[in-house]
Amino acid sequence: MNVRDEILGKLKSAPKQDISTKTRMPPLNELSFDKEEMIEKFIQEQTEQTSAVHRVKDGSAVLKKLSEIIKEEGLHKVMVSTDDVVAPLDLVSWGKENDVQVFTAQDFKDRKDFTDSVFDSVEAGITVADYAVAETGTIGIIHDKNQPRLVSIAPIMQITIVPVERMVQVYEQVTDKVFGQKEVPSHFTFTTGPSMTADIQATAFKGMHGPRRMIIILVG
Amino acid sequence: MKIRTEQFKQVAIKEMANARTKMFLGLLPPVFAAMRASALATFPDPAAATAYSASIREEVVASLPELLEEFEKNAVARGAKVFWARDARQANEFILDLARKKGITYTTKGKSMVSEEMGLNDYLKNNGIEPFETDLGEFIAQQLNRPPFHLVGPAINVPPEEICELFIEKADMQEPTHDPVQLGYAARRYLRDKFHNLDMSITGINMAVAETGTIINVENEGNIRLNKSTPKTQVSIMSLEKVVPTMRDAMHLLRMLCRNCTGQKISAYVSFDSGPKKADEIDGPDELYIVIIDNGRSRIYQDLKTRQSLRCIRCGACMNNCPVYSTIGGYPYGWAYTGPMGQVLTPLMLGFDKTQDLYRACTLCGSCKSVCPGGIDHPGMFLYYRSKDVEGDQKFKAKKRDWKEERFFDLWSFGTTRSWAWKLGSKLVRPFLNIHAHHGIVSKIIGGYAFEGWFRNRDLPAFPEKTFHERWKDIQ
Amino acid sequence: MKTVSMFIPCTVDIMLPQIGDDTYRLLKRLDVNPLYHEDQTCCGQPAINAGYLKHAREVAKHFIDVFGEDEVVVSPSGSCVWTVKHHYPELLCDEPDYAQRAEELAGRIYELSQYIVDVLGLEDVGASFQGKVTYHESCHILRGLGISDQPKRLITAAKGVEFMPLNNADRCCGFGGEFANNYPDISEEMVKDKVNNYISSKADLLVLCEPGCMLNIGGYLSRNRPDKKVMHIASFLSASI
Repeated sequence: MNVRDEILGKLKSAPKQDISTKTRMPPLNELSFDKEEMIEKFIQEQTEQTSAVHRVKDGSAVLKKLSEIIKEEGLHKVMVSTDDVVAPLDLVSWGKENDVQVFTAQDFKDRKDFTDSVFDSVEAGITVADYAVAETGTIGIIHDKNQPRLVSIAPIMQITIVPVERMVQVYEQVTDKVFGQKEVPSHFTFTTGPSMTADIQATAFKGMHGPRRMIIILVG
Repeated sequence: MKIRTEQFKQVAIKEMANARTKMFLGLLPPVFAAMRASALATFPDPAAATAYSASIREEVVASLPELLEEFEKNAVARGAKVFWARDARQANEFILDLARKKGITYTTKGKSMVSEEMGLNDYLKNNGIEPFETDLGEFIAQQLNRPPFHLVGPAINVPPEEICELFIEKADMQEPTHDPVQLGYAARRYLRDKFHNLDMSITGINMAVAETGTIINVENEGNIRLNKSTPKTQVSIMSLEKVVPTMRDAMHLLRMLCRNCTGQKISAYVSFDSGPKKADEIDGPDELYIVIIDNGRSRIYQDLKTRQSLRCIRCGACMNNCPVYSTIGGYPYGWAYTGPMGQVLTPLMLGFDKTQDLYRACTLCGSCKSVCPGGIDHPGMFLYYRSKDVEGDQKFKAKKRDWKEERFFDLWSFGTTRSWAWKLGSKLVRPFLNIHAHHGIVSKIIGGYAFEGWFRNRDLPAFPEKTFHERWKDIQ
Repeated sequence: MKTVSMFIPCTVDIMLPQIGDDTYRLLKRLDVNPLYHEDQTCCGQPAINAGYLKHAREVAKHFIDVFGEDEVVVSPSGSCVWTVKHHYPELLCDEPDYAQRAEELAGRIYELSQYIVDVLGLEDVGASFQGKVTYHESCHILRGLGISDQPKRLITAAKGVEFMPLNNADRCCGFGGEFANNYPDISEEMVKDKVNNYISSKADLLVLCEPGCMLNIGGYLSRNRPDKKVMHIASFLSASI
């Protein structure tokens, strides 16, 4: 008998338990938020996490805002997503106009070169939120060939474009969709604020292994 | 990790005399407890939310084998490779074997309590593979070779001066500093290189969702996300009870875990893996190995009471609310698991004979039970273990009690079931108890041999002339 | 006139009998007729805590034989009431007749302050005390029986009382029965903490509902701060009425 069957066999032959009926709980408060309340809550939560939040009208306003950010932060090399929100912005051209080198995952022959770039040379990652959750100011990203994993975790700064129509109230509204399909992403993340720790002397700081700073551009 | 459960009392005494420990224990548990209460208040009914997570965990334990089968089926369908390990040895051997096949010389680890239980780090190191803990607290604790001070902050009490020396010696830190933030940045620089060139990573698993075959990790630092992104091979380890029925169940447990653990509503990063990376993705593992380890849990599962211990979600709320933990800190518990949840789990894993103090050093105050999102009755478990000791039950490697104690209770129950014996007994014993009475107080009994623990720093009232039984006639 | 059967626990019977006297006097003063079954001994808690369940079972059966027919049982010890309500049904699960009687008794046994406030519906019992009073929330009373409001209402209703909040009032005092004697270093730190909180509350008196806690806190005070007093709620209320 293999180990799997041995373990499962032991579990199955154990005495059966009577369990109580599952308890109930009232619906979450956040479910009552309307659109404006969601956005307000989202911004409030992001700000508490020290993220900088900008709200703009549309795609061209996004580019304008990015130009400001680039100048302010003194960025010269960024890595960006190639999904259906970021791609139409044509950040490569924008980069040429703004004296900043814009990379995408497609620029690299292999994963080693890509990894080297995102670790050592890129100063910020620009991604899009596939989902935004008002409950805790959380970004949901489906990682695939257009939104690689490292772009939003390796660089020291993370810039995330959040289309307002992708905002929902609570996590389940995201996971029901993402995991309810037949095809499920290999990697999905919820991100709430920059990376942080308080493991030394309970002194909290941002930017342990992941980004130290997070900038949100809310669009719409 | 060396097992020091039999040094509980000595280590406790040492820790209570340690000013640093005292300072952190005065600070951390109450702050965590307050943050927890405030975070739980986001629920319209926090008590209902806690009862709900307890009922999810009850369901998990009741349906454990079926859920594990469902998880495995769905995970494999997504391309994950599942390896079942009977015990630590099998799991360690599998991982070492894989590491050798992949030709790696080092690996990086996300925080994983079960890997501590397995002694994985020492095993890999002894076999020529260098394991780097990447969670800052675990990294420090690993370098110092110490057990965890606290479940969530294993090295939170270590002075920056000590960390500074450590980092200069072992983490390529060039300039000395005592600033926790600068020290953190130094660790970032050192470990970043390890992530960058990584070929194989090892993580734990917070939740394994049966419905979708997805593993979920919860973290603040980003080290686990990096571990899931750069290497071609990812090994994620779970003990049996990490399985959760549905994704919705997982979301509720996520909220409960974060609030109970650090008082956050959610941690900075929550990552969901459903199989390895897809063919057209540029990062992520080509191979995802999920190691499901038993290590005594299927044995623990046989007993309807002890299997309750499998409801634990490793949040640490119990220790933040425990008056004993808040007095002695994490070290006395002597192994990977600390505080009340350690007191519940360690005796079951290591045997009662080596862990007597763990289930006896408890006042049964019930604070842990009152906050537990898993619905575990810790005091009830300790009483059960104590009763197993009395029976000398070998299933638990229980040690029978001292014959003097057994005779005492024989005598006591004789007197307590016969009121004539009770009344006579109280009358006879009083003069002996009062031999050293002075000014209505007793400061020692029978020359100081009985109850010396009590009388070190406490008195008892002198035993009154008449018991209530004897006074009853006078009162009426 | 209501009749209640008094359950006077072993700690009170042998070590603190005046709490029994005061419980009797208090109940009488509230127009209750208190009975006392002389055959009573102990609820068995020490044996349960030490794992001697066989012995505890015998003691539990004796307890049910003594109190089983009573309409109402009242006790000045919350941990003992909790033992009967919470432990007895499981302890006696292999003896259906006793288990049944234990289940029924569980619904008719009360801690003293709970009885006065919830059953008699009284808060002002005519007591008085000039000074600052604080209250320690014993573990089995608070978390076991869910009693917290009742003793505090009784205390604050006494004329002249200024109620002082106690920091970490709900934190264990470190008694835990055998724990206090077997882990004295830890236990002493815990009771020292409790006493420090008592002192910093600026109260003149600490009132509680649990004889075990009283022996523990009182015992530490006697050795270290004999100027600070602790009192059981039965004594506190009956002293002035």
